[in-house]
Amino acid sequence: MTASMESLFERAVNDLSRLTKITDEDRNLLEQVDQAANELVVSEFEKYIERKFNEKVPEVLKKYGLMGVPILKKYGGKGAKPLVHALSIERFGQVGLGVVTFIDVHQSLGSLTIQQWGNEEQKRRYLTKAASGETILAYALTEPEAGSDPASMKTSYRKEGNSYYITGSKYLISNGSVADSIVVFAYPEGQRKGMSAFIVDKKAAGFSVDMRLEEKMGLFTSDTSMLSFDNLQVSKDDVLGEEGKGLNVAYSALLNGRIGIASGCLGVMEDCLNQVKERTSTRVQHGKPIGKHQLVQRHIARIASNLESSRWLVYQTALKKEQYDGNMSELNLRGEVDRISAIAKYVASRAAFECADSAVQLFGGFGYSILSPVAKHLIDTRVARIYEGTDEIMELKVASTVLGREFEAYS
Amino acid sequence: MQLRLEGAEELSIPRERVYQLLTNPDFIARSLPDAQEVIVQSDGTVEAKIKVGISFVTANMQIKLKITDKVPNQHARLMAEGSGSGSTMKITSDFDLDGDRPTRMKWKADAEITGLMAGMGSSILKGFSEKKVREIFDGIKKAMEGQP
Repeated sequence: MTASMESLFERAVNDLSRLTKITDEDRNLLEQVDQAANELVVSEFEKYIERKFNEKVPEVLKKYGLMGVPILKKYGGKGAKPLVHALSIERFGQVGLGVVTFIDVHQSLGSLTIQQWGNEEQKRRYLTKAASGETILAYALTEPEAGSDPASMKTSYRKEGNSYYITGSKYLISNGSVADSIVVFAYPEGQRKGMSAFIVDKKAAGFSVDMRLEEKMGLFTSDTSMLSFDNLQVSKDDVLGEEGKGLNVAYSALLNGRIGIASGCLGVMEDCLNQVKERTSTRVQHGKPIGKHQLVQRHIARIASNLESSRWLVYQTALKKEQYDGNMSELNLRGEVDRISAIAKYVASRAAFECADSAVQLFGGFGYSILSPVAKHLIDTRVARIYEGTDEIMELKVASTVLGREFEAYS
Repeated sequence: MQLRLEGAEELSIPRERVYQLLTNPDFIARSLPDAQEVIVQSDGTVEAKIKVGISFVTANMQIKLKITDKVPNQHARLMAEGSGSGSTMKITSDFDLDGDRPTRMKWKADAEITGLMAGMGSSILKGFSEKKVREIFDGIKKAMEGQP
């Protein structure tokens, strides 16, 4: 590891290597991630203040060959397993959740979904370009009237021969306006069942970016857009997975996405801890560094405890996912990954929000400014409790795994 | 907050000339970036008003620079202290020379920053400082190599 790699992160990698196999190749990959993360610090800070998408993120990832971290090597990716992928996202989380969002959508919701459900031709066509950075991917499920409940989706498709015509709007789509290819979900016209997934090219006639959502509460460096499809034509070669089984595609993507967001939240907590350590040991009030005040130490203890308790849960989830990837026909294992990834995302996103709140508190008045290194974490982690499954949906999901499927409150 | 930056430059001019320029207060005064008022005192101290910009934060600082610890053709230290806009900084930079045409100049700068700027955190400040230092050295290198 480089000297610049944050010590707690390095310690976690070392601890993990005693529990599971972290190869030299994995470590080299994480070295590259570390360098790329360091290179993004300045641009992320500047773009956050400007409230603009940080176009340096794809540029730097491409430079270090990190656009396709979890994509199989035969498609040009790094072939990182879930744990190493999680560690890479965790490191980028130290830079900010805007970076994490770009990566999670491109890699977890986009690339891994095509890798799991695509046919060989689709994998060759989309994954090789996604891995090289030639294309950026996005995932479009949410609509103005369909958030937690995909059944309320209005986007529909009409089938004519070997062609499908998609009409509708997708809302709050991360990477929406910067993506080249988007995984889009739609119901057959006039139906509320049999959702299908399609891979849509942004150059296709009928595709438009209706709105770039810049009036967000935070996450300024991440692109969030509203997309519309007006009778957009795709062919049968663009159907992802089996026609009519798109819900399985959507849910599997969210499962990967949740592990990614939970991992990013670990990075946020780690950055909060690093920042408050520096701040409280150098800022002097009442004649001593504020870190010597007991009530300040309580905040620090909370941040450290939140990080450590979330960290092992997220790693355990990634390891479970690794196990499931090796045996996808095992439904019990799938259920277990679904359950634990919901818990990991629920716990880590709430913990990160709490850590960021404590960090802002310890930075005092300056903490309320986005010039401080911690304010963005507080603003941004709020969305981690909403996107890719709200706190409430995660709670219902977990509760139903305890009580049984007949208690599923959202079905 | 403390920061350390280090690096090395290769210059095409003779070592002796590099040393002369490096220890010349007038040359240092001319090489200061974003300086508004620069005065070279009779004891060699350089006083200047400079604008230190970190992204959207600009601090107007009154700084004093002094060249110390001179070892002819080998070493010099540049001490800089400044304050303004709610921040203070103290930077000690050491320069070591070796080789000749090209002359290799190794440098190391230790900065102590307090106040508003320090609040931005070392990771952000380090990133900006590295960028700024690169600009400064590019300027110095160009000025040195362009000197008659």
